[in-house]
Amino acid sequence: MNHRLETTALWSAYVLLFGGMIFVKNEHAIHIAAQIVILGLFAISFNILFGNTGLLSFGQALFYGLGAYVTGMIAKKFGGDHFLWALLLVPLVAMAVALVLGALSLRLSDVYFTMLTLAFAQLVWGITIKWYDFTSGDDGIQAIPKPEFLAGGLHYYVFAFLVVTVCLYLLWRLHRSPFGTILKGIRQNPTRVNFLGLNVFRHKLLAYVISSCFTAIAGGLYAGLDGSIHPDMFVWTMSGGIILMTILGGMRSFFGPIIGVAVFVLLEDVVGRSTQYWSFFIGAIMIVVVMLFPKGIVGVSRQFAGLFAKKGDPLEHS
Amino acid sequence: MNHKTASLLSALLVCFTSAVSFAGETIKIGALYPMSGRGGLYGQDSEAAIKIALQEVNAKGLPGGRKLDVIVTDDQSKPALAVTLAKRYITEDKVKFLYGVVSSSAALAVTEVSKEYKTIFVGTDHAATDLTANAFQKYYFRVSNNTFQSMAAGAMYLQDMKLGKKIAYIGPDYAYGRDQIAELKYCLGKLGANFEMVGEFWPKLYEADYTSYITAIVRAKPDVLVCGFWGGDTVAFIKQAKAYGLFDKMKYFHPDGGGNYEVFSTLGAECPEGLIMSARHHNNWPETKENADFVQKFKKATGRYPSYAAEGAYVGILVIADAIRKVGNADDTEALVKALEGMKMKFPEDPAGFQSYIDPKTHQIVQAQAIGVTVKNDKFPPAKYMLGNFKVYPADKLMPPQDYIDLLKRTKK
Repeated sequence: MNHRLETTALWSAYVLLFGGMIFVKNEHAIHIAAQIVILGLFAISFNILFGNTGLLSFGQALFYGLGAYVTGMIAKKFGGDHFLWALLLVPLVAMAVALVLGALSLRLSDVYFTMLTLAFAQLVWGITIKWYDFTSGDDGIQAIPKPEFLAGGLHYYVFAFLVVTVCLYLLWRLHRSPFGTILKGIRQNPTRVNFLGLNVFRHKLLAYVISSCFTAIAGGLYAGLDGSIHPDMFVWTMSGGIILMTILGGMRSFFGPIIGVAVFVLLEDVVGRSTQYWSFFIGAIMIVVVMLFPKGIVGVSRQFAGLFAKKGDPLEHS
Repeated sequence: MNHKTASLLSALLVCFTSAVSFAGETIKIGALYPMSGRGGLYGQDSEAAIKIALQEVNAKGLPGGRKLDVIVTDDQSKPALAVTLAKRYITEDKVKFLYGVVSSSAALAVTEVSKEYKTIFVGTDHAATDLTANAFQKYYFRVSNNTFQSMAAGAMYLQDMKLGKKIAYIGPDYAYGRDQIAELKYCLGKLGANFEMVGEFWPKLYEADYTSYITAIVRAKPDVLVCGFWGGDTVAFIKQAKAYGLFDKMKYFHPDGGGNYEVFSTLGAECPEGLIMSARHHNNWPETKENADFVQKFKKATGRYPSYAAEGAYVGILVIADAIRKVGNADDTEALVKALEGMKMKFPEDPAGFQSYIDPKTHQIVQAQAIGVTVKNDKFPPAKYMLGNFKVYPADKLMPPQDYIDLLKRTKK
């Protein structure tokens, strides 16, 4: 399968599948689909850092939580009519925070960078839990209002789907742009990129800011979905979960992460109905995927498709 | 097929279909409990107690020959997951009631789902006062005590027993721990008690090592140490504090979750004597037939004695069945709300001559609180100590007054 065909197929599948959900009458299915697109945006923006640039941040939950709390607290304080502008404010706040944290943490590389991002996220989580008067602490914030026209599962799903699709389109353009190519270059050989006369640090910082900005939008969307948010959104297991989902789906593909998210969310829903041990199944699947198919679900599909193609495609592209 | 067989078959078919329509559909209840991890025992005990209650309720029968059925799912005490599951219960499983929930933060999220979908939520184990105060909504009911009730009884006990003026507090650093001391101070203030706080200590939830806190508490020299832990944290703290001789230097007072059977069964012979504690249910108090029956039924079904979560989960099913019987069906939610508001029933934890009732204004169950002292008692093995010398505080004196609810509304979002 060539690049263009695969891209068209995946985009069409995304639009048909998630767009088609609006005709589904099942409220629970719509809620699950909304979770998948929102977490999918989180995972794909995380993958700009991880899969593309080769930066493993263990603290992206910081921006997910930040987006949710900025949106949730403003809407709660000023009323549902302010939900939308709060959501518009989210990327700006996230970019400002990412600029500072990125400037500090990207000076380090590899595991030190990972540890520092983890530390920042845990710090913000700690503050959220302890600052009762401001964040309601461990209780979280409930009954977050949103505008009248977004009330109801289907209306909010359509809204979330449209926002996520626009975000994904922007991220995809970025992924395919010369800037995206430089990021891949940084992952493969930063020294060479440096020799090309390009500033590696600045490109990494920009990738970090962009990734964090879209992650925060996902968080903001989540605040409106359930109307309740919780400090759990900041915690390291949230970041870790997204890393697992991304690896499961395939980190070398643009759409891979959202496929991983879908598998996770659906497994939790389906397996969770009959057993309390659904995480055991996730664990077992992860072991199989990592041991046998390290390139994730998309990687496996490509290998499979490659068997029928005339010439072998490189596994690593769009 | 000859005529005879055909008529026999059709007769059978008629019988079958009429039996189905006669028996009616089951009335579903969607329960959410943590089934693993630190709160896992509460979920498992609750599930066992629910089964006992279901057998009783279904044997007695419900209007229209319908039966109650409970679906239990592990919410991992995660608010986001609890919301997803609650929505699924309502929209897909068509449950008539949401039920259970151990974590207060998960309950605060689920009560919003209950409000949005106008589905009754019967809370059985979470203790945050907020749910029946500032976060109150009319479809929510709680059939176990909240922390305010425990602390109101605790304040009276401190006053009555003259345990001393200097108070130190240690509790887990999250809403549950913070609320308890705020409520105790408020109640002591209302009683006009003369007390002095000599220290507040905030280890994180699930802390493993309390050494530094214990030495700091001993240095603060309080007359009474008030404790706000639950579950394994209580056990870990008591074991470590005992090694430092803390219990010889001050009174240990733990009025909300300390006297849970889980603590006594885990500590066994290591439990110190003379700790003052309470819990939402005691296996050995009140000494009524109802309580003894409940505890024995639980023991027979599971092979162990129940932790306090079980009684709440048991009672909630009886409350729901009672409301359905009064209304005649499970479909008229508004009538069910009215029926629940007027609920008055005898439960295992009610002392002789008292019946629990639901406060129509806050939907909080009103129950007496018994505070006891640890004494040797091996009637409930593996526990070697249980609470005894109970002092009972009347139910109507323990409810949060309006000015406290207003305070919560002002200060909490």
